[in-house]
Amino acid sequence: MNELRRAWLIALKDLRLEFRTGGRLLSMIAFVILAGFLFAFALDRSQIAGRDVAAALLWLIMLFASTAGAGRIFDAEEEEGAFRHLLLAPVSRPAVFLGKTAANLIVIWLVTALAFISLTAFLDVRDAGSPAAHAAVLLPGTIGLAATGAFFGRMSRHSSLGDTLLPVLTFPLLVPVIYLGATSTARVFLDRPWTEISGSVRLLWAFALGSVFIGAALFRHLTDE
Amino acid sequence: MSTRGRIAGLALVAAGVATILVAHWMMAFWVPSDAAQGVVQRIFYVHVPAAWTTFLAVGIVAIASAVYLWLKDERADAAAVAAAEGALIFGAVMLVTGPLWGRIAWGTYWTWEPRLTLTLLLWFTYLGYFLVRGSVADPGRGRRFAAVVAIVGALNIPLIHVSVEMFRSLHPGPVVIKPEGPTLPADMLATLLTSLGGFTMLFLGLFTFRYAVERLRRRPLAAAAGEADEALT
Repeated sequence: MNELRRAWLIALKDLRLEFRTGGRLLSMIAFVILAGFLFAFALDRSQIAGRDVAAALLWLIMLFASTAGAGRIFDAEEEEGAFRHLLLAPVSRPAVFLGKTAANLIVIWLVTALAFISLTAFLDVRDAGSPAAHAAVLLPGTIGLAATGAFFGRMSRHSSLGDTLLPVLTFPLLVPVIYLGATSTARVFLDRPWTEISGSVRLLWAFALGSVFIGAALFRHLTDE
Repeated sequence: MSTRGRIAGLALVAAGVATILVAHWMMAFWVPSDAAQGVVQRIFYVHVPAAWTTFLAVGIVAIASAVYLWLKDERADAAAVAAAEGALIFGAVMLVTGPLWGRIAWGTYWTWEPRLTLTLLLWFTYLGYFLVRGSVADPGRGRRFAAVVAIVGALNIPLIHVSVEMFRSLHPGPVVIKPEGPTLPADMLATLLTSLGGFTMLFLGLFTFRYAVERLRRRPLAAAAGEADEALT
């Protein structure tokens, strides 16, 4: 059984736990819908068009939801000491990291889809641009968010600061993702040509792949018991 | 701390302070004002050396952290902490002098252009370095986590460096390290290099002292007291 298969099994286990218990997922879903709802109230719609701010709000909601969820990625296993057993299993640390990242990524995709639907509905954004172009921008962005969240989520579990440490560690690193993602999504909303967006998407992919590889390489230093 | 180390640290701090005083005399009385920006350009002789020292310190933190993760050598971790404090202090000098210069040169204290933004974020990453180190109950684990944060933070530096080339930016480009050689007038270059030398020596002196304090702090109390007695006699 190769390492990717093992990583996928870890991801499936995490997702099964996630959907059975539902606590983290439900709170993230509630958060993104309520955030879209509140943003629609907070904006003076007579002055600001929903289309102009939807991209920025979407990426901010994704950032906050993924950061809030990242602190809980290792919770279920930590409470019963199961994480130690996972480390004792014949599976490499990079595979554990990839599995955790994959499970986190699928949850973030779900949350992102809901955030997108709720924001376009609440802000009344009609003709939101090409779905394929949105997916092409959101895919590398969410991979970056998921890998960074899984990596630093592990670190925050051992800190007395807990979840308050996560934004301090992740936000500085994720600013390029938010900047590139929000500007690209804004251009997709405006139906700009792909040539205006492709450069940023390439950089998003570079960040996504970099965070996955660096996370996998350094994860064993976060799990030496 | 050995006598040789103490003398080297003291000599570096003294030479650094003296050289910085000379550099301040040069920037106040010797070097001419920049034709375009006027007198405010002189802050360049503090801002650039502070930035250089910050990136030197960050480089030392990253290398020492990588060595610590690899060899688990306490001396590497002590060096990383000592350099990280330097990165925060000199980074603060860079982040204060930059906006003061920018207010006159650009008409605004802060502009959300990539190099400024990413440098501020690098500073916050190193603030996170100390938060991680201080908030993890097991000191060994805290050191490992902090080392990981330092390496990830240092990987941000190439992004900062190329950001000026990648994005449209108000921040001036390099004037000293260029393929065709420095484009700065000779007197300005001399003032800059003097200040740069002073900042570097001051940092290395403080780094030497801080490293020794960190090593002393981790020794058993009896051994540290014995060494302190020896130093006093």
